[in-house]
Amino acid sequence: MIEIVRQKAGELLNQGKIKGFIAPSRENGHVAPRLFTRVEELSTLNLGDSSSEGDARYPLDKILITLHRKYPDDCFGILVRGCDQRGLYTLYRLNQLNPDRVIEVGIACSPGLAKACECLKPFPDDAVAGDPVAPEGQKAVEMVEDMDMAGRFEFWMDQFSKCVKCYGCRDICPMCFCNECSLECKDLVSKGDLPVDIPVFHLVRAMHMADRCIDCGLCEEACPSDIPLRTLYKKTGRIMDEEFGFTSGINKHEKSPLSIMGPAPDKKGP
Amino acid sequence: MDYQNILTTCTYCGCGCNFFLEVLDGELTGTIPCKTSPVNEGKLCIKGWNVHEFVQSDKRLKRPMIRKNGNLEEVSWDEALDYTAARLKTVKAEKGSDAVGFFASAKVTCEENYLMQKFARAAVGTNSVDHCARL
Amino acid sequence: MLGFCGIEAERLRARWVSSAEAPEFVEEVNDFISALKQIGPSPLKKNTAQNVA
Repeated sequence: MIEIVRQKAGELLNQGKIKGFIAPSRENGHVAPRLFTRVEELSTLNLGDSSSEGDARYPLDKILITLHRKYPDDCFGILVRGCDQRGLYTLYRLNQLNPDRVIEVGIACSPGLAKACECLKPFPDDAVAGDPVAPEGQKAVEMVEDMDMAGRFEFWMDQFSKCVKCYGCRDICPMCFCNECSLECKDLVSKGDLPVDIPVFHLVRAMHMADRCIDCGLCEEACPSDIPLRTLYKKTGRIMDEEFGFTSGINKHEKSPLSIMGPAPDKKGP
Repeated sequence: MDYQNILTTCTYCGCGCNFFLEVLDGELTGTIPCKTSPVNEGKLCIKGWNVHEFVQSDKRLKRPMIRKNGNLEEVSWDEALDYTAARLKTVKAEKGSDAVGFFASAKVTCEENYLMQKFARAAVGTNSVDHCARL
Repeated sequence: MLGFCGIEAERLRARWVSSAEAPEFVEEVNDFISALKQIGPSPLKKNTAQNVA
Protein backbone atom coordinates (compact mmCIF):
# COMPACT_ATOMS: atom_id res chain seq x y z
CA MET A 1 0.00 0.00 0.00
CA ILE A 2 2.78 2.39 0.95
CA GLU A 3 4.47 1.89 -2.44
CA ILE A 4 1.34 3.02 -4.27
CA VAL A 5 1.14 6.16 -2.12
CA ARG A 6 4.84 6.86 -2.61
CA GLN A 7 4.48 6.47 -6.36
CA LYS A 8 1.40 8.69 -6.51
CA ALA A 9 3.01 11.42 -4.38
CA GLY A 10 6.17 11.21 -6.46
CA GLU A 11 4.17 11.67 -9.68
CA LEU A 12 2.38 14.73 -8.30
CA LEU A 13 5.68 16.28 -7.19
CA ASN A 14 7.41 15.45 -10.47
CA GLN A 15 4.60 16.92 -12.53
CA GLY A 16 4.76 20.09 -10.42
CA LYS A 17 1.07 19.74 -9.56
CA ILE A 18 1.80 20.21 -5.86
CA LYS A 19 4.32 22.27 -3.88
CA GLY A 20 4.54 19.62 -1.20
CA PHE A 21 2.98 16.41 0.08
CA ILE A 22 1.81 16.25 3.68
CA ALA A 23 2.15 12.82 5.27
CA PRO A 24 3.80 11.12 8.24
CA SER A 25 7.46 10.25 7.95
CA ARG A 26 9.64 7.85 9.92
CA GLU A 27 12.76 9.64 11.12
CA ASN A 28 15.13 9.00 14.02
CA GLY A 29 12.96 6.15 15.26
CA HIS A 30 9.89 8.35 15.50
CA VAL A 31 6.93 8.94 13.21
CA ALA A 32 6.46 12.63 12.53
CA PRO A 33 4.20 14.64 10.26
CA ARG A 34 6.20 16.12 7.40
CA LEU A 35 5.92 18.23 4.28
CA PHE A 36 7.68 16.34 1.49
CA THR A 37 8.87 18.77 -1.15
CA ARG A 38 11.24 16.55 -3.15
CA VAL A 39 10.76 13.05 -4.55
CA GLU A 40 13.97 11.74 -2.93
CA GLU A 41 12.58 12.50 0.53
CA LEU A 42 9.66 10.10 0.01
CA SER A 43 11.81 7.12 1.08
CA THR A 44 10.91 7.91 4.71
CA LEU A 45 7.17 8.10 3.96
CA ASN A 46 4.96 6.40 6.53
CA LEU A 47 1.20 5.92 6.74
CA GLY A 48 0.87 6.80 10.42
CA ASP A 49 1.81 3.30 11.53
CA SER A 50 4.53 2.91 14.14
CA SER A 51 4.24 -0.45 15.91
CA SER A 52 0.66 -1.10 14.79
CA GLU A 53 -1.59 0.31 12.11
CA GLY A 54 -2.76 3.86 12.66
CA ASP A 55 -1.10 4.27 16.07
CA ALA A 56 0.84 7.35 14.93
CA ARG A 57 -1.78 9.39 13.13
CA TYR A 58 -1.31 13.14 13.23
CA PRO A 59 -3.64 16.06 12.45
CA LEU A 60 -2.44 16.46 8.85
CA ASP A 61 -5.49 18.60 7.99
CA LYS A 62 -4.40 21.07 10.63
CA ILE A 63 -0.94 21.36 9.07
CA LEU A 64 -2.61 21.98 5.73
CA ILE A 65 -4.57 24.88 7.26
CA THR A 66 -1.33 26.41 8.58
CA LEU A 67 0.29 26.15 5.14
CA HIS A 68 -2.81 27.29 3.27
CA ARG A 69 -3.14 30.41 5.42
CA LYS A 70 0.38 31.50 4.54
CA TYR A 71 0.47 30.21 0.93
CA PRO A 72 -3.15 30.41 -0.29
CA ASP A 73 -2.19 30.17 -3.96
CA ASP A 74 -0.07 27.05 -3.71
CA CYS A 75 -1.44 23.57 -4.17
CA PHE A 76 -0.60 20.81 -1.68
CA GLY A 77 -1.00 17.07 -1.70
CA ILE A 78 -2.10 15.27 1.44
CA LEU A 79 -2.38 11.68 2.59
CA VAL A 80 -5.94 11.02 3.74
CA ARG A 81 -7.72 8.23 5.54
CA GLY A 82 -11.52 8.29 5.73
CA CYS A 83 -11.44 10.61 8.74
CA ASP A 84 -8.88 13.00 7.24
CA GLN A 85 -11.02 13.34 4.14
CA ARG A 86 -14.16 14.02 6.19
CA GLY A 87 -12.06 16.71 7.84
CA LEU A 88 -11.09 18.23 4.50
CA TYR A 89 -14.70 18.22 3.29
CA THR A 90 -15.78 19.96 6.50
CA LEU A 91 -12.96 22.52 6.21
CA TYR A 92 -13.96 23.22 2.58
CA ARG A 93 -17.52 23.75 3.81
CA LEU A 94 -16.34 26.15 6.52
CA ASN A 95 -14.18 28.10 4.08
CA GLN A 96 -10.92 27.22 5.81
CA LEU A 97 -9.43 25.47 2.78
CA ASN A 98 -9.83 25.84 -0.95
CA PRO A 99 -10.62 22.48 -2.59
CA ASP A 100 -8.91 23.67 -5.79
CA ARG A 101 -5.62 23.92 -3.90
CA VAL A 102 -5.70 20.42 -2.37
CA ILE A 103 -5.00 17.05 -3.95
CA GLU A 104 -6.02 14.12 -1.77
CA VAL A 105 -4.25 10.79 -1.90
CA GLY A 106 -6.56 8.40 -0.09
CA ILE A 107 -5.97 5.09 1.64
CA ALA A 108 -8.60 2.80 3.13
CA CYS A 109 -8.15 1.53 6.68
CA SER A 110 -7.88 -2.17 7.51
CA PRO A 111 -10.85 -4.00 9.05
CA GLY A 112 -9.05 -4.07 12.41
CA LEU A 113 -8.54 -0.32 12.58
CA ALA A 114 -12.04 0.39 11.26
CA LYS A 115 -13.47 -1.79 14.02
CA ALA A 116 -11.33 -0.24 16.76
CA CYS A 117 -12.45 3.25 15.67
CA GLU A 118 -16.08 2.19 15.14
CA CYS A 119 -15.66 4.39 12.09
CA LEU A 120 -18.70 5.41 10.04
CA LYS A 121 -16.73 5.46 6.79
CA PRO A 122 -13.29 3.90 7.18
CA PHE A 123 -12.26 4.77 3.64
CA PRO A 124 -12.00 7.99 1.64
CA ASP A 125 -13.74 8.59 -1.70
CA ASP A 126 -11.38 7.69 -4.56
CA ALA A 127 -8.94 5.68 -2.42
CA VAL A 128 -5.78 4.82 -4.33
CA ALA A 129 -4.83 1.96 -2.04
CA GLY A 130 -6.43 -0.46 0.40
CA ASP A 131 -9.76 -2.25 0.20
CA PRO A 132 -12.72 -0.35 1.62
CA VAL A 133 -14.39 -2.20 4.49
CA ALA A 134 -17.96 -1.77 5.68
CA PRO A 135 -18.53 0.49 8.70
CA GLU A 136 -18.95 -1.03 12.15
CA GLY A 137 -21.65 -0.38 14.73
CA GLN A 138 -21.19 2.07 17.60
CA LYS A 139 -20.96 -0.07 20.70
CA ALA A 140 -19.35 2.63 22.85
CA VAL A 141 -22.35 4.94 22.54
CA GLU A 142 -24.78 2.08 23.09
CA MET A 143 -22.92 1.02 26.22
CA VAL A 144 -23.67 4.42 27.79
CA GLU A 145 -27.22 4.48 26.45
CA ASP A 146 -27.88 1.15 28.15
CA MET A 147 -27.25 2.76 31.56
CA ASP A 148 -30.06 4.41 33.52
CA MET A 149 -29.97 8.18 34.17
CA ALA A 150 -28.15 7.90 37.49
CA GLY A 151 -25.63 5.52 35.98
CA ARG A 152 -24.93 7.82 33.06
CA PHE A 153 -24.53 10.79 35.38
CA GLU A 154 -22.10 8.95 37.59
CA PHE A 155 -20.15 7.60 34.61
CA TRP A 156 -19.68 10.97 32.92
CA MET A 157 -19.04 12.98 36.08
CA ASP A 158 -16.36 10.46 37.07
CA GLN A 159 -14.81 10.81 33.63
CA PHE A 160 -15.07 14.60 33.43
CA SER A 161 -13.64 15.12 36.91
CA LYS A 162 -10.40 13.51 35.73
CA CYS A 163 -9.87 16.43 33.34
CA VAL A 164 -6.62 18.33 33.90
CA LYS A 165 -7.72 21.14 31.59
CA CYS A 166 -4.77 20.78 29.24
CA TYR A 167 -6.94 21.88 26.27
CA GLY A 168 -5.23 19.08 24.34
CA CYS A 169 -8.55 17.91 22.87
CA ARG A 170 -9.02 21.35 21.35
CA ASP A 171 -5.41 21.90 20.36
CA ILE A 172 -5.08 18.60 18.47
CA CYS A 173 -8.51 18.90 16.82
CA PRO A 174 -8.27 19.55 13.07
CA MET A 175 -11.74 21.10 13.20
CA CYS A 176 -10.79 23.63 15.90
CA PHE A 177 -9.50 26.60 13.95
CA CYS A 178 -11.29 29.52 15.67
CA ASN A 179 -9.24 32.52 16.74
CA GLU A 180 -11.39 32.99 19.80
CA CYS A 181 -12.48 29.95 21.75
CA SER A 182 -15.51 29.66 24.02
CA LEU A 183 -13.47 27.43 26.31
CA GLU A 184 -11.35 30.48 27.12
CA CYS A 185 -14.39 32.65 27.87
CA LYS A 186 -14.23 33.27 31.60
CA ASP A 187 -18.02 33.43 31.91
CA LEU A 188 -18.26 29.81 30.81
CA VAL A 189 -15.05 28.33 32.16
CA SER A 190 -13.42 29.90 35.20
CA LYS A 191 -9.72 30.58 34.92
CA GLY A 192 -7.11 28.85 37.04
CA ASP A 193 -9.50 26.40 38.72
CA LEU A 194 -9.23 22.64 38.89
CA PRO A 195 -11.19 20.50 38.59
CA VAL A 196 -12.52 22.25 35.55
CA ASP A 197 -16.18 23.33 35.56
CA ILE A 198 -17.93 20.05 34.90
CA PRO A 199 -19.86 19.23 32.84
CA VAL A 200 -19.82 22.71 31.25
CA PHE A 201 -16.34 22.49 29.75
CA HIS A 202 -16.92 19.16 28.03
CA LEU A 203 -20.49 19.83 26.97
CA VAL A 204 -19.60 23.23 25.47
CA ARG A 205 -16.99 21.50 23.38
CA ALA A 206 -19.43 18.73 22.49
CA MET A 207 -21.99 21.29 21.33
CA HIS A 208 -19.44 23.07 19.16
CA MET A 209 -18.51 19.75 17.60
CA ALA A 210 -22.14 19.11 16.59
CA ASP A 211 -21.83 19.73 12.84
CA ARG A 212 -18.05 19.55 12.72
CA CYS A 213 -16.66 16.48 14.50
CA ILE A 214 -15.37 14.08 11.89
CA ASP A 215 -14.70 11.35 14.45
CA CYS A 216 -10.97 11.06 13.84
CA GLY A 217 -10.38 10.23 17.50
CA LEU A 218 -7.23 12.32 17.88
CA CYS A 219 -8.76 14.10 20.92
CA GLU A 220 -9.19 10.88 22.84
CA GLU A 221 -5.66 9.79 21.92
CA ALA A 222 -4.30 13.14 23.13
CA CYS A 223 -6.19 13.11 26.43
CA PRO A 224 -3.78 12.53 29.32
CA SER A 225 -6.70 11.45 31.52
CA ASP A 226 -8.16 8.95 29.03
CA ILE A 227 -11.62 10.55 29.04
CA PRO A 228 -13.75 8.76 26.39
CA LEU A 229 -14.25 11.98 24.42
CA ARG A 230 -14.82 10.13 21.21
CA THR A 231 -17.92 8.46 22.65
CA LEU A 232 -19.25 11.88 23.68
CA TYR A 233 -18.77 13.40 20.23
CA LYS A 234 -20.04 10.26 18.51
CA LYS A 235 -23.28 10.85 20.38
CA THR A 236 -23.49 14.48 19.14
CA GLY A 237 -22.90 13.19 15.64
CA ARG A 238 -25.63 10.63 16.10
CA ILE A 239 -28.11 13.29 17.25
CA MET A 240 -27.28 15.35 14.15
CA ASP A 241 -27.98 12.31 12.02
CA GLU A 242 -31.25 11.47 13.78
CA GLU A 243 -32.55 15.06 13.75
CA PHE A 244 -31.32 16.31 10.38
CA GLY A 245 -29.94 13.31 8.49
CA PHE A 246 -26.56 15.02 8.46
CA THR A 247 -23.15 13.52 9.09
CA SER A 248 -20.18 15.85 9.08
CA GLY A 249 -17.85 15.40 6.13
CA ILE A 250 -19.59 12.44 4.49
CA ASN A 251 -20.76 14.38 1.43
CA LYS A 252 -18.39 16.88 -0.09
CA HIS A 253 -20.96 19.49 -1.04
CA GLU A 254 -23.57 19.13 1.69
CA LYS A 255 -24.22 22.22 3.82
CA SER A 256 -24.68 21.98 7.56
CA PRO A 257 -28.33 22.12 8.67
CA LEU A 258 -27.15 24.41 11.50
CA SER A 259 -26.15 27.06 8.94
CA ILE A 260 -29.52 27.14 7.19
CA MET A 261 -32.01 29.83 8.27
CA GLY A 262 -35.70 29.13 8.00
CA PRO A 263 -38.20 26.45 8.99
CA ALA A 264 -36.90 23.19 10.37
CA PRO A 265 -36.15 20.66 7.63
CA ASP A 266 -37.96 17.35 7.59
CA LYS A 267 -36.44 14.70 9.77
CA LYS A 268 -34.09 12.25 8.08
CA GLY A 269 -33.19 14.92 5.57
CA PRO A 270 -33.90 15.26 1.87
CA MET B 1 8.56 27.65 1.73
CA ASP B 2 10.13 25.69 4.53
CA TYR B 3 7.90 23.68 6.85
CA GLN B 4 9.52 21.39 9.38
CA ASN B 5 8.59 19.51 12.52
CA ILE B 6 11.50 19.51 14.94
CA LEU B 7 11.57 16.77 17.58
CA THR B 8 12.53 18.16 20.95
CA THR B 9 12.00 17.69 24.69
CA CYS B 10 9.83 19.87 26.89
CA THR B 11 11.78 22.22 29.15
CA TYR B 12 9.02 22.82 31.64
CA CYS B 13 9.55 19.96 34.08
CA GLY B 14 11.59 16.85 34.64
CA CYS B 15 9.18 14.42 32.92
CA GLY B 16 10.83 14.87 29.55
CA CYS B 17 7.82 14.79 27.23
CA ASN B 18 8.69 14.76 23.56
CA PHE B 19 6.96 16.91 21.00
CA PHE B 20 7.43 18.39 17.59
CA LEU B 21 7.75 22.12 17.16
CA GLU B 22 6.16 23.23 13.91
CA VAL B 23 8.43 25.67 12.13
CA LEU B 24 7.16 27.52 9.06
CA ASP B 25 9.78 29.72 7.40
CA GLY B 26 11.79 30.03 10.59
CA GLU B 27 8.82 30.92 12.77
CA LEU B 28 7.30 28.65 15.40
CA THR B 29 3.64 28.06 14.64
CA GLY B 30 2.63 25.18 16.85
CA THR B 31 3.31 22.19 19.08
CA ILE B 32 2.39 18.60 18.23
CA PRO B 33 2.89 15.92 20.91
CA CYS B 34 4.98 12.97 19.76
CA LYS B 35 2.90 9.79 19.57
CA THR B 36 5.89 7.48 19.39
CA SER B 37 7.54 8.90 22.50
CA PRO B 38 7.51 6.30 25.29
CA VAL B 39 7.34 9.10 27.85
CA ASN B 40 4.16 10.94 26.90
CA GLU B 41 2.61 8.75 24.17
CA GLY B 42 1.07 11.66 22.28
CA LYS B 43 -0.19 13.53 25.33
CA LEU B 44 0.90 16.84 26.88
CA CYS B 45 -0.08 19.14 29.74
CA ILE B 46 -1.26 22.68 29.18
CA LYS B 47 2.24 24.10 29.56
CA GLY B 48 3.71 21.72 27.01
CA TRP B 49 0.93 22.49 24.55
CA ASN B 50 1.89 26.16 24.60
CA VAL B 51 5.66 25.90 24.49
CA HIS B 52 5.86 27.51 21.05
CA GLU B 53 4.37 30.70 22.48
CA PHE B 54 7.07 31.51 25.01
CA VAL B 55 10.04 30.95 22.71
CA GLN B 56 9.29 33.95 20.54
CA SER B 57 7.46 36.01 23.16
CA ASP B 58 8.27 39.73 23.37
CA LYS B 59 8.02 39.48 27.13
CA ARG B 60 10.90 37.05 27.34
CA LEU B 61 13.92 38.24 29.34
CA LYS B 62 17.08 38.01 27.28
CA ARG B 63 19.55 40.03 29.37
CA PRO B 64 20.08 40.40 33.12
CA MET B 65 18.29 43.34 34.66
CA ILE B 66 18.79 45.25 37.90
CA ARG B 67 16.24 47.56 39.46
CA LYS B 68 17.80 51.00 39.74
CA ASN B 69 15.81 53.87 41.22
CA GLY B 70 12.63 51.84 40.82
CA ASN B 71 13.19 50.97 37.16
CA LEU B 72 14.48 47.72 35.71
CA GLU B 73 17.56 48.38 33.59
CA GLU B 74 19.47 46.02 31.34
CA VAL B 75 23.00 45.44 32.61
CA SER B 76 25.99 43.32 31.64
CA TRP B 77 26.42 39.81 33.05
CA ASP B 78 29.50 40.96 34.96
CA GLU B 79 27.62 43.72 36.68
CA ALA B 80 24.69 41.45 37.47
CA LEU B 81 26.91 38.74 38.96
CA ASP B 82 28.96 41.23 40.98
CA TYR B 83 25.78 42.79 42.32
CA THR B 84 24.24 39.41 43.23
CA ALA B 85 27.41 38.17 44.94
CA ALA B 86 27.76 41.36 46.91
CA ARG B 87 24.12 41.31 48.06
CA LEU B 88 24.29 37.62 49.02
CA LYS B 89 27.40 38.34 51.12
CA THR B 90 25.81 41.36 52.77
CA VAL B 91 22.55 39.59 53.59
CA LYS B 92 24.41 36.57 54.96
CA ALA B 93 26.70 38.76 57.09
CA GLU B 94 23.90 40.92 58.45
CA LYS B 95 20.99 38.50 58.86
CA GLY B 96 22.61 35.04 58.80
CA SER B 97 22.58 32.17 56.31
CA ASP B 98 18.91 31.30 56.75
CA ALA B 99 17.89 34.71 55.46
CA VAL B 100 18.76 33.41 51.99
CA GLY B 101 16.66 30.92 50.01
CA PHE B 102 17.32 29.16 46.71
CA PHE B 103 14.93 28.13 43.98
CA ALA B 104 16.06 25.38 41.65
CA SER B 105 14.66 25.11 38.14
CA ALA B 106 13.29 22.34 35.97
CA LYS B 107 14.70 24.06 32.94
CA VAL B 108 18.33 23.30 33.72
CA THR B 109 20.20 20.01 33.99
CA CYS B 110 20.52 17.73 37.02
CA GLU B 111 24.16 18.69 37.34
CA GLU B 112 23.38 22.38 37.43
CA ASN B 113 20.72 21.81 40.07
CA TYR B 114 23.20 19.73 42.05
CA LEU B 115 25.70 22.59 41.90
CA MET B 116 23.06 25.04 43.04
CA GLN B 117 22.05 23.10 46.14
CA LYS B 118 25.72 22.47 46.89
CA PHE B 119 26.33 26.20 46.69
CA ALA B 120 23.32 26.83 48.95
CA ARG B 121 24.40 24.31 51.58
CA ALA B 122 28.20 24.47 51.45
CA ALA B 123 28.90 28.06 50.46
CA VAL B 124 25.94 29.97 51.89
CA GLY B 125 25.02 27.50 54.61
CA THR B 126 21.25 27.16 54.35
CA ASN B 127 18.88 24.26 53.77
CA SER B 128 16.28 26.56 52.20
CA VAL B 129 16.29 24.98 48.77
CA ASP B 130 13.09 24.52 46.80
CA HIS B 131 11.97 23.89 43.28
CA CYS B 132 10.00 25.88 40.74
CA ALA B 133 7.56 23.01 40.15
CA ARG B 134 6.22 23.55 43.68
CA LEU B 135 5.44 27.22 43.15
CA MET C 1 -26.73 15.49 25.08
CA LEU C 2 -27.86 16.22 28.63
CA GLY C 3 -29.82 13.00 28.69
CA PHE C 4 -26.77 11.13 27.46
CA CYS C 5 -24.85 12.52 30.44
CA GLY C 6 -27.57 11.56 32.92
CA ILE C 7 -28.99 15.06 33.39
CA GLU C 8 -32.72 15.60 32.87
CA ALA C 9 -33.20 17.27 29.48
CA GLU C 10 -36.15 19.24 30.92
CA ARG C 11 -33.64 21.41 32.79
CA LEU C 12 -32.77 23.22 29.58
CA ARG C 13 -35.23 25.16 27.44
CA ALA C 14 -34.78 27.35 24.41
CA ARG C 15 -37.81 29.44 23.35
CA TRP C 16 -38.12 32.28 20.91
CA VAL C 17 -39.97 35.17 22.53
CA SER C 18 -40.07 38.64 21.01
CA SER C 19 -39.15 41.64 23.16
CA ALA C 20 -42.67 42.90 22.48
CA GLU C 21 -44.25 39.81 24.02
CA ALA C 22 -43.80 40.43 27.73
CA PRO C 23 -46.76 38.29 28.89
CA GLU C 24 -45.52 35.28 26.91
CA PHE C 25 -42.10 35.70 28.48
CA VAL C 26 -43.53 35.84 32.01
CA GLU C 27 -45.69 32.82 31.33
CA GLU C 28 -42.75 30.88 29.93
CA VAL C 29 -40.52 31.66 32.89
CA ASN C 30 -43.22 30.80 35.40
CA ASP C 31 -43.93 27.57 33.60
CA PHE C 32 -40.23 26.70 33.57
CA ILE C 33 -39.91 27.48 37.28
CA SER C 34 -42.81 25.21 38.20
CA ALA C 35 -41.43 22.46 35.97
CA LEU C 36 -38.03 22.79 37.63
CA LYS C 37 -39.57 22.67 41.09
CA GLN C 38 -41.20 19.40 40.17
CA ILE C 39 -37.93 17.86 39.06
CA GLY C 40 -36.18 18.99 42.25
CA PRO C 41 -32.65 20.20 42.93
CA SER C 42 -29.98 19.66 40.31
CA PRO C 43 -27.40 16.92 40.84
CA LEU C 44 -24.90 19.54 39.71
CA LYS C 45 -25.47 21.97 42.58
CA LYS C 46 -22.06 23.30 43.55
CA ASN C 47 -21.63 21.19 46.69
CA THR C 48 -22.64 18.05 44.79
CA ALA C 49 -20.16 18.82 42.04
CA GLN C 50 -17.41 19.21 44.61
CA ASN C 51 -18.26 15.89 46.20
CA VAL C 52 -17.99 14.18 42.85
CA ALA C 53 -14.66 15.85 42.14
